[in-house]
Amino acid sequence: MRYGFFPGCTLESAAKELMLSTKKVASALGIELVELKGWTCCGASHIQDVDDFLATSINARNIALAEQLNAPLLTVCNTCTLMLRTAKQKLDQNDELKAKVNQGLDKIGLQYKGTIEVTHFLWVLIKDYGLSRLKKKVKRPLEGLKIANFYGCHILQPPHIMGFENHLNPKAMEMVAEVLGAESVEFDQRLACCGFHAVFPAEKEVMKLTGINCLSSKKAGADCIVTPCPLCQMQLDMYQPDAQKDVREDITIPVLHLPQLVGLALGFEPNELGIQRHIVDAIPLLKKRLVLV
Amino acid sequence: MEKVICRIKRYDGVKEWYQEYDLPYEKGKTILWALTKIREELDPTLTFSSGCRHAICGSCAVRVNGNAFLACKTSLDHLLSTFETHRLTFEPLNNFKVIRDLVVDWKPKFEKMKEVKPWLIPSKDGDKSNGFRQSAKDFHKISSPTDCILCGVCASECNQLSLNQDEYLDPFILNKAYRFAVDSRDAAPEEHIRPILENGLWKCFHCMQCVSKCPKEIDLASENAYLRQATMNMGERANKGARHAYAFVEDVKNKGRLNEVTLPLKTEGFINTMSRIPFAFRLIKKGKINPFHLPKAVEGIQEVRKIYEFAQGEKES
Repeated sequence: MRYGFFPGCTLESAAKELMLSTKKVASALGIELVELKGWTCCGASHIQDVDDFLATSINARNIALAEQLNAPLLTVCNTCTLMLRTAKQKLDQNDELKAKVNQGLDKIGLQYKGTIEVTHFLWVLIKDYGLSRLKKKVKRPLEGLKIANFYGCHILQPPHIMGFENHLNPKAMEMVAEVLGAESVEFDQRLACCGFHAVFPAEKEVMKLTGINCLSSKKAGADCIVTPCPLCQMQLDMYQPDAQKDVREDITIPVLHLPQLVGLALGFEPNELGIQRHIVDAIPLLKKRLVLV
Repeated sequence: MEKVICRIKRYDGVKEWYQEYDLPYEKGKTILWALTKIREELDPTLTFSSGCRHAICGSCAVRVNGNAFLACKTSLDHLLSTFETHRLTFEPLNNFKVIRDLVVDWKPKFEKMKEVKPWLIPSKDGDKSNGFRQSAKDFHKISSPTDCILCGVCASECNQLSLNQDEYLDPFILNKAYRFAVDSRDAAPEEHIRPILENGLWKCFHCMQCVSKCPKEIDLASENAYLRQATMNMGERANKGARHAYAFVEDVKNKGRLNEVTLPLKTEGFINTMSRIPFAFRLIKKGKINPFHLPKAVEGIQEVRKIYEFAQGEKES
């Protein structure tokens, strides 16, 4: 299994642990990730606010680079997935736009053809790799670990662009958790927004939302939150101390990236997966629940 | 499946409670069928609103299992299979004042809507007696936004609105502003757009709930992006939202990647960023950011800049 790998900007900066854990887990599973040379930021849902043609063009370039590898494009970020898939859908459904974008790409020796898929690590685990195969790789079943699966908006919505599963009642995260041996808790905010994209212009509301999301997970009895999106992880983890200021109850709960959860079940130690880099320390909990040394 | 249990949130103007009704399952029915059957056969006091039954009037929107739907358009079978249950919870739309049971008050929303002047401000190209001519291309700009039936589903699902009713306009109001701003017959697009900017345009969470749930499949997210572009074209760039968006555009042009260290500075300016020093130390301590790291330009940055030049040319042509 070979994929063009689109890390997205956060994996090179504030979410380096996601780069580390994704590569370790992919390697352990036998998934080959070939990082796209010269990939650029997907626009993170902001560039189209300045110029939507530019937003489509830069992602057409990203996809065209993956087409040269002749491999599906894999991301580990919900928003990168949405931005790349949005560009792809626009180009695949509008010949006039595709021709115009290709005029630009032609100047740099590239062409968008529309020959490859854009997918997410979570979907690859289920659809391409297979849960039964994943189960066979589990060395340390995560029994006793209660997790709150926080999907994040952009892996589900809008459904006409994402469409991997029913956006009103998705199951992918729970299916993976079950195979790894963890217990998924039911909580009100399972499909909630993290607010990350508006943290600057709407800080007050976003902090309130972070408090609600953390508290909902905690009250449902979760030991930690797990998310397939680095932006959700950053919002819920890095800003948790700020969100706590306006909430009387203790909202403290660790937040893991999905590949870190998979990595723990594959037998990696927390430090090998960069779990010590999180603002809210997850390691004491993992030591207790998974009987780590 | 023999029966469907409908758990309905009731409100009599004073107290709230949930009440359950058992309905015999019938294949191929809608949510509105269920509500009508309850009212006609089980409980005449149940109050809900509905008009056309054909997804035109927008009056029957309700929430089922936490999601807003147009009752007349939504299949009961679809919900039963989606939620894998024979028990459905009905509630009035979120982010609205409730009048009784499932009926919400639209009056405050219409008052809010007046802010954006939801009417045509006619240009000199036409008049009442001669009408206006509009090209097919120009008509297509308004054909989707005019599909809005004011059902309130988007408002019910809006995450920003749930936290902030006072400083944000409902998505259907943004749609109304867009609809008139892009109308070729309108003489004053800024009069529709400026109130949007002054009421938290940039506070949108980009969650895509509005576009995902709209029963008319209106691309509200793209409309919002247009409104943001329009405000910047009006010269309104000195706000956090616009500066944040431009920071992405500039970073990709300069290096190909986002610089997370300089992003707050570019978005909020030096003084505001200083208030984030404790936050920055928290991240530095864990190695999440390195303030001295200068990202290198990506391989092929010259090519990326050529795409920028090409896009700029397209914009100007």
